[in-house]
Amino acid sequence: MNMVDNINKQQEEETAKYQGAEDNSPLIEFKGVTKRFGDTCVMDEMDLKMKAGDRLVIIGPSGSGKSTLLRVLMGLEKIDKGEIFFGSNPYITVDRKGRTRTDMSVRSKIGMVFQHYTLFPHLSVMSNLTLSPVKVRGMARSEAEDRAREYLARLGMEDKLYSYPGKLSGGQKQRVAIARALMLEPKLMLFDEVTSALDPEMVAEIEKVMLDLAKQKMAMMIVTHDMYFAKKIATESVFIAGGKVIEKCDPEIMFNEPKQERTRDFLDKVLHLK
Amino acid sequence: MNYTFDFSVLVGNFGPLIEGLQTTLLLALGANVLGLTVGFVVCLLAMAPFWILRLPAKMFIEFFRCTPVLIQIVWFFYCVPILFNVFLDPITMGIMALGLNLIAFNAEAYRAGIQAVPKEHHDACVALGLGAWHKTVYVIFPQALRNAIPVLMTNGITILQQSALVAIVAVADLMYAGKMLATNTYRPLEVFTAVALIYFFMSLPISQVVTFLERRQDASVER
Repeated sequence: MNMVDNINKQQEEETAKYQGAEDNSPLIEFKGVTKRFGDTCVMDEMDLKMKAGDRLVIIGPSGSGKSTLLRVLMGLEKIDKGEIFFGSNPYITVDRKGRTRTDMSVRSKIGMVFQHYTLFPHLSVMSNLTLSPVKVRGMARSEAEDRAREYLARLGMEDKLYSYPGKLSGGQKQRVAIARALMLEPKLMLFDEVTSALDPEMVAEIEKVMLDLAKQKMAMMIVTHDMYFAKKIATESVFIAGGKVIEKCDPEIMFNEPKQERTRDFLDKVLHLK
Repeated sequence: MNYTFDFSVLVGNFGPLIEGLQTTLLLALGANVLGLTVGFVVCLLAMAPFWILRLPAKMFIEFFRCTPVLIQIVWFFYCVPILFNVFLDPITMGIMALGLNLIAFNAEAYRAGIQAVPKEHHDACVALGLGAWHKTVYVIFPQALRNAIPVLMTNGITILQQSALVAIVAVADLMYAGKMLATNTYRPLEVFTAVALIYFFMSLPISQVVTFLERRQDASVER
């Protein structure tokens, strides 16, 4: 069994563990989460559950709080009210003084890929991938490098190991960013409009990588404006508007016969059905 | 103009100028070492989230940026020994006086360099679990340094030229050697022209490197 199979097997085992076999207990649960930027409320007492192994696609108009939701979950934004659970453990809470408390051991189980790649331009692809495993996780450099090679090979980038981000195309950069997040073996991956800055050919490239991850039952939360891709990859879909979850259902229902009028209006507009 | 230049007065008098040049280089080098290292620390303090660290660092920067370097040198040479009973050799005093000034300017250059690192890179550090130390050392500092290098080098050249001001407090640098030679030979025009050319040819290559680096950075600006 080669290292790629090993990594796949490990991930499947981990996912199964977090799925709790057949039990439908949530991997992530938002309970009454409120987030304000000044007077603007971008998450308004939001409740949301996501099961392990789910691929939850979040759609909604611009400014509806989709990206903020992911940023809150990654610990990049504080919250004003509510709590977030990871499995049965409190992950993000607000103490009596209104300060956000984050369980760092849980945060390390979440990986995130951003719209603008965010590769460190002064580091080679290899160093981008191995920096955190070596410095934060204490992994041996040789082991981290072997793992980086395997992930890049899996993403068809083995020849770019020692290239610098400035020499890569947008699609290649985003593949490296995905590999970098996967290096930490997250239990949940967050994708924040990862194809928005790419041209159509490169979008297909990244979508293929994400569909491959989906096959390995990687739990994902995806914010996208690409409704066709959303439908293809989602096991669960959520429509958010005005900082609230308007509708959460199976993607087949969401994209074919949404129950809520606001969801219908939004999808009609973006899918040009009107 | 009926003045006849006679550069022959310099022949045989290069010895004192070379000695002065060595002192000038020592002053500039010492001040730059202080400015590059302590400047980064002051910058971090000035950007610290706690006002108790931020306030003194900011006051230090503003004091040295907002007062003439000549006054700083004079104050340092005459007031420090009186106030603190500290007597150091003139070159060390010169390095410290120029160095303090450069620390303030370099701290600002580093701050601009850090602020030019895209915010998304800070987010990526969080997503990768990098703590404050690892983030600063492996992600922010290398990029901030790269962004700040042209300004740091410009500040370095400026302090090389401003080091001439220590001649006023009798530090035997290139300017002081020139002043002495001009007095002895009664040929200030020739001597100060030669001194100016020495400063010019020391600064020119560095300034060319700065131009080259700025051009290279403009070409490679990308996220």
